[in-house]
Amino acid sequence: MTPTVPELLMGNFLAMMDPPPAESAGDYMQAKVGVTGMISLLCAQEAERGIEARVWENAAIRDLLKAAAGRYGERFAEAAASVDRDFSLAAMDRANAALRRALIDLHIAVEAARDGALDTEIRALYVKMADARRLDLPPMPAS
Amino acid sequence: MSLQAQIEAYLTRVWGSPAVVTMLSRIPGGASRETYRLDVVSGGETRRLILRRDPPGSLIDTERKIEFEAIRSFHGSGLPAPEAVALEEDGAELERPFFIMGRIDGGKAQSPFSVPPYGEHAETIGEQFYSHLGVIARADVADLPLAKVCETPSADACWKKELDYWEGVIDADEEHPQPIVRACIRRLRANPPPPAQKLSVVHGDYRTGNFMHDGAGKIVALLDWEMAHIGDPLEDLGWAMEPLWCYGETDRVSGMVSKARAIAIWEKASGLKVDPVAFAWWELFASVKGQAIWISSANEYRKGGFKDPVLGLSGWYTARRQDVILAERLAALEALS
Repeated sequence: MTPTVPELLMGNFLAMMDPPPAESAGDYMQAKVGVTGMISLLCAQEAERGIEARVWENAAIRDLLKAAAGRYGERFAEAAASVDRDFSLAAMDRANAALRRALIDLHIAVEAARDGALDTEIRALYVKMADARRLDLPPMPAS
Repeated sequence: MSLQAQIEAYLTRVWGSPAVVTMLSRIPGGASRETYRLDVVSGGETRRLILRRDPPGSLIDTERKIEFEAIRSFHGSGLPAPEAVALEEDGAELERPFFIMGRIDGGKAQSPFSVPPYGEHAETIGEQFYSHLGVIARADVADLPLAKVCETPSADACWKKELDYWEGVIDADEEHPQPIVRACIRRLRANPPPPAQKLSVVHGDYRTGNFMHDGAGKIVALLDWEMAHIGDPLEDLGWAMEPLWCYGETDRVSGMVSKARAIAIWEKASGLKVDPVAFAWWELFASVKGQAIWISSANEYRKGGFKDPVLGLSGWYTARRQDVILAERLAALEALS
């Protein structure tokens, strides 16, 4: 989840740029081309959905942090106070990293307090977060 | 010097007679090491071999000596493990550490991304797949070469040794905060499993894609032993059933048989029992271990200058699929009280 679309597409170029040694020109190269194709296909999905997923996730984490601040401390409200103004993937990810760190801290505090209701809410949020970022690889027939 | 010439120089020296390499070809898969298929003619005999050489960057950081001793432990035991031929930890003429093993022809390894992976042979392959795993679990560890190169934990420490290791990998390689896998790790630590009922060889990467079958329902080779160690045999069973390895399947584990059938086959072959509470722990652990590997892949991808697309795909797409599995497993756990 850390490689970005620009890194992956640059990587595809770099992977194909150098001529392979003779012993790597057969099955290995064919598989390598296939993997770069998969990456390109998935990058198209990320380009289409990636910003929307991050806008949603950042907002959802902020809402949760703000709601929990009364019981767990103002530092969570402060962490939620940031505003997304740069909607590039890189900027959204920087904001997301800070929010995720605060979410981890909150979840640890919630577990320590044996707060079952909020723990369940956070685990439900994780399901939505993972689903929002999912990439769909078309099924490939067995060889 | 070409790789072919390097191999010829090495084998000529260690075998004491001229060795000629033919049909040298790198093959995909086995992402922790560069893997090559080759034939070697020496002393009037042709040997069909596989070379596994350490790469500059790797999906998994493993000891080639462990993989070598693991296949040596099971070759000739009735399991389809390849023959261990040579190991050079300092690289010798090949400049990077490597080992050579016998090649088993006539089989293919199925991608975990293919749907359905085994077609009409799913049940037959499932019988062998889980039976072979039971045989590995049943083996007496003390008698095996692997025991001489692996730490043997106590039965009540297997879980902690593995969880500590893979959490350490995440600590070292995580580049973007991962709240889901972190929450899973905390759950695992707070609710440890009972001690292992037996100390067994754990293959470490026993799954769809890491064995070859002949296309007619027979498993002909068990591969990729690089993460082998001694531990709780339920670890392998949990990893084999990890949903990541059966893309699009909801009713069959590993794309082969039902979960209940897989457990029954394994119990019969191993002589062991699957305790549901212990197994639930190892199932969640399998997903954590997977995520640790994908996080590490992303890190290696960046360190290697983005040149290995398998590392890129693993550290991105596979990591996201793993997060979906982890989040669903975590959500299904009992609420705190």
